[in-house]
Amino acid sequence: MNSTSETLEPLFNFLDTSLLTLEDTFNKLPGSAVILRYVRSSHRNDPGRTVLELILLLFAIWTLLQSRTRADRTEKHFIQFTDKEIDELVDEWTPEPLGQPLSAKEQADLASVPIIAGPNGPKPKLVSTGKTVTNLASLNFTGLAGNEHIKQRAIETLKKYGLGSCGPPGFYGTLDVHMDLERDIADFLGAESAILYSQGFSTISSVVPAFCKRGDIIVADRGVSFAIHKGIQISRSTVRWYDHNDLKSLEDVLEGVEKERRKRRGPLTRRFIITEGIFEKDGVMVDLPKLIELKYKHKFRLILDESFSFGTVGRTGRGLTELYNVPAEKVDMLVGSVAIGLCSSGGFCAGSQTVVDHQRINGPSFVFSASMPPLLSVSASEGINILRSTPSILTTLQENIRAARAILDRVDCITIPSHPASPIIHIYVRSAPTTSLHPSAAAHSPTKPSNPASVLPRDAANWDWDVETEERVLQDVVEEALAQGVMITKAKRLRGQEAVEPRPSIRLALTSALTKKETEKAVGVVKTALVKVLGRRR
Amino acid sequence: MPASSPLPSPMALNIAAPNPSMFKKRSSQTLAPLASAASYLSALSQADARARHSHGRTPTATPALSLSSSITSSSEDTVLNEGDPSSHAHGFDNFDGLALPVRPPTSEQVFTTLHTEFGHCANEAYRLTSQHTQGEAVPAHVEQDPPYYILLSTYISYLILICVGHVRDFVGKRLSPGSYTHLVPRNGYAPLNSDFDSFYTRRLKTRMDECFSQPVTGVAGRTIMLLDRISPDYNHTQILTGTRTRALNISSYNYLGFAQARGGCADAVEEVIRRYGVSTCGARLEGGSSDLHTVTEALVANFVGMEDAMISSMGFATNSALIPALVGKGCLVISDELNHASIRFGTRLSGANVRMFKHNDMGSLEALLREVISQGQPKTHRPWKKILVIVEGLYSMEGTLANIPVILELKKKYKFYLFVDEAHSIGALGPHGRGVADYFNIPPRSIDILMGTFTKSFGAAGGYIAGTKSLIDRVRLRGHLGPYAEAMTPPVLTQVLASMASIMGVSPPLPPLDGGEGVVTTSGTYVHPGPAPASSLPNWLTLPYALASGTEGRTRLRRLAFNSRYLHNGLIKLGFITYGHPSSPIVPLLLFNPGKMNMFHRMMKDRKTPIIVVVVAYPATPLVTSRVRFCVSAAHTKEDVDVVLRACDEVGDVLDLKHGIGRGERWTVEKIVERAAEVAGM
Repeated sequence: MNSTSETLEPLFNFLDTSLLTLEDTFNKLPGSAVILRYVRSSHRNDPGRTVLELILLLFAIWTLLQSRTRADRTEKHFIQFTDKEIDELVDEWTPEPLGQPLSAKEQADLASVPIIAGPNGPKPKLVSTGKTVTNLASLNFTGLAGNEHIKQRAIETLKKYGLGSCGPPGFYGTLDVHMDLERDIADFLGAESAILYSQGFSTISSVVPAFCKRGDIIVADRGVSFAIHKGIQISRSTVRWYDHNDLKSLEDVLEGVEKERRKRRGPLTRRFIITEGIFEKDGVMVDLPKLIELKYKHKFRLILDESFSFGTVGRTGRGLTELYNVPAEKVDMLVGSVAIGLCSSGGFCAGSQTVVDHQRINGPSFVFSASMPPLLSVSASEGINILRSTPSILTTLQENIRAARAILDRVDCITIPSHPASPIIHIYVRSAPTTSLHPSAAAHSPTKPSNPASVLPRDAANWDWDVETEERVLQDVVEEALAQGVMITKAKRLRGQEAVEPRPSIRLALTSALTKKETEKAVGVVKTALVKVLGRRR
Repeated sequence: MPASSPLPSPMALNIAAPNPSMFKKRSSQTLAPLASAASYLSALSQADARARHSHGRTPTATPALSLSSSITSSSEDTVLNEGDPSSHAHGFDNFDGLALPVRPPTSEQVFTTLHTEFGHCANEAYRLTSQHTQGEAVPAHVEQDPPYYILLSTYISYLILICVGHVRDFVGKRLSPGSYTHLVPRNGYAPLNSDFDSFYTRRLKTRMDECFSQPVTGVAGRTIMLLDRISPDYNHTQILTGTRTRALNISSYNYLGFAQARGGCADAVEEVIRRYGVSTCGARLEGGSSDLHTVTEALVANFVGMEDAMISSMGFATNSALIPALVGKGCLVISDELNHASIRFGTRLSGANVRMFKHNDMGSLEALLREVISQGQPKTHRPWKKILVIVEGLYSMEGTLANIPVILELKKKYKFYLFVDEAHSIGALGPHGRGVADYFNIPPRSIDILMGTFTKSFGAAGGYIAGTKSLIDRVRLRGHLGPYAEAMTPPVLTQVLASMASIMGVSPPLPPLDGGEGVVTTSGTYVHPGPAPASSLPNWLTLPYALASGTEGRTRLRRLAFNSRYLHNGLIKLGFITYGHPSSPIVPLLLFNPGKMNMFHRMMKDRKTPIIVVVVAYPATPLVTSRVRFCVSAAHTKEDVDVVLRACDEVGDVLDLKHGIGRGERWTVEKIVERAAEVAGM
């Protein structure tokens, strides 16, 4: 007994001295007396509290020691296997092929895609037939494609800048010509500032997640384009849908959102309305003044995708804001496509300086992508100059649209959802007349409003079109028209990936590069093809 | 060589071109605007005069410098002086040492590239082949730790930044609420930027905004013209002063130096603009396809060694919009933790489950594969429909190479599909420039999907995805880009065609490199396909001899390989901590302390020969490992790399950055520069 205590004595001594030195150093620390006094008095007043604080301290240490990413092993669904079992499972597992081979129909789809030999324009030559056709398929609304002046400017730029910019905008990819185009777009629209993206399609799907985060509220049209759907999906925000281009429904949803917030007494979150100027899916045009009024009334921000209306409507092609005479500043984020509107490449988002600066740091496809080739940017700037100085281009385009509608509106085997001023004209096959004399009346029957949380409208179950047959019929129309020398296209869709399956349609894209006569002749061919093919069906 | 004749366009040197057509070729489209023989002769004599005054030592491997000349000098003068009043005043100006080569070329050496765009380097000693030594293990990603005091001071720096930031916010909100209005709810609108989310941007990034988004003009080649700017209010606004500075560009993704405003590629692009205009108007499936797309896709497929390829007009979108066509619900994507944002974007859109493994750690990948295959889908435990492993060939922030040989072994055992993003590696790696597969001498078709971009090595824009014919057809129909995104424009397509064809060479074929080239595939070893048949290019596209023969392409590859290894090994020998594979043209140099980023950037830019660099910090990298990233190019000469090394040496001493190898093993910068070929070969 004695011997043990003797052997342990140095240890005790050591502990004793170290305890003393520890106490000494603690006392030497400035403010240690205060801490000591505090701990003593708190322990004296409430010993339970000391215990609680100790537990809290232990918990904090334990949490810190835990690994950040919780391994799945601790989950209750995890099954423990031995190595041998895993080997067997690995051997057993047979994956599906990476890509299923195309079905015959898909192959035919791909084969029917027209390929143009040489430059595209109002009258291109096709690779398949070697013949020149009239083009009502490509997006060349203001006829800027092939403009000699633009070509000249592009070549000049090439000689000074080369082709690629070789870097993202953050790292030496911001060229003076990009800043010029941004300024040109902002000036043209009357916005404070603008930001340039290098692809039109990726613009909106990057703008949405740059602003809308988890917990934010998006109120969006049910008919918005695929790119917007993808942007909304990536944003992880709470989405409420309103009926396609129905501003009454929008108002109801906005009120619903406000009511919901008040009921929940949640904090104020960012709220956005997302819609399109002219809808890619059917060419319908939104009533911008009314939309702006609603947005101000309910204090939402507006993300407006003008991909198909910028460069196509308004006196000089400034888009919906010019058409309705609404200052562009009232649209918080005005997104447009340089590729479609100015026949170049890329897209833009115009808005206030804050809005634009925010995207320079947060827009994924801005930050992580190389900037646009400088010569394309100069071409776009030149396109704006041309639009500004020649309003007759837009007049011709609108005349052509009117001429086309005058012919198509009289065809009774089709319906056209598109707005009369829309440069894209979607053509649906008219449903069998048995359902209702006025399909539009049926759609607006006073039923209960659709559920805003669901992307599908309430009447989706009543949609009576058969996607496959209609697509087949429309493809026949396309081929018939092509045989007669007019190139048109079905609106191509990603069936199965779209949030709302759009109705199959033929999409005409008019252009000011054709004269009124040529347009009438070409649309006449389309009309004959429609009547011939659809008439055969009945 | 007839002095007065218009000259062909070999980039480096072309002693005797066997093709006589080279002489008539140039006549219509002479690159250098030499109006007459007299002007050329005067340019020659000027160049000779400069050469006599230049201090260059006679390099060992170049011919004697008796009568030196530089064909490009006069054209260079015009370009350099454009819009630069200072140089107009002094006639020709080379005060920054960027405009003229240190070693003037001899009369036999004919350079038709602009030295400012693509440096003149005739020394064959400064060439290497980018190739993996067979049988050697691929180095794993090693994170070399700095001394503790560096780590500690880095953490303390951030702590101070954060504390100061919060104090400034606290005080600022009370004293000048005006400057915080965009951060607080106003008139019933929530702020666009929450106070918390934007803290990092406002309080940390703004301090070093001078390193980012620098506006530039002209070609992003060997040198780049900066538009000078100042900030009167601590980086809240930047004002362009209107002056310009030329700087050595070691930041752009211009690996093979195809960012050029002159040369065969630019001529081809000019021709296509005249013929095709600048747009194809619309999406690929809706009337935006042209014959150029078909031709380019076939050439790209041939280049990467796959059956078929699809091109897209944006590199980011190639991943973000095409991955959803490959995987969906019930599939699993296994992704390297450092994969690019576009890959994450794409996998999130696809609806597939995602798991990550530790960067380039094959052990972690295998453990994960065993776990996920045995467990199956979460909760239901049903087997996965398919597993897609996505890695990058070359990682843009670390410079690491994916360990493709080991991944392929795992692939055999675990039956997953492999997607390799070659955004940075295509063109930049491998003896033939065909990316990581070429580098490791692996048949490309053992990888399921090869994706890459044209922005980097080819000086163009956009990207491609390549695989089997049926798979790519599916992507054409099911990818988001086919029906909705604009098609690639003709100028970009042509740049891709011309640059790619010049790397491959157009038949008649190249003389073999060191035997073993051909088209025969024997079991196990992959032998790369030969040059592109002339029929695979549009008939109007005629490349100058040096491009068409592939000699220039090969020189570019070899110069890039040398420059990469030289800079990488040189920095290590100087004592810096670098990451990544020595063959990688991306060379990250670790800075650690956040304050050093700004300093490093500025000290490099303010030198006599200004050098611009890219500094990256959190959130692109982990918090402590802030770094500067050099992107080497074939356009750089050995002397340019010397300049960078000397600059790093000086700046590194001042900023205390040398924490790599011990003092004893270090070399002086003079020793490194002198024994460059040895350093590169290490």
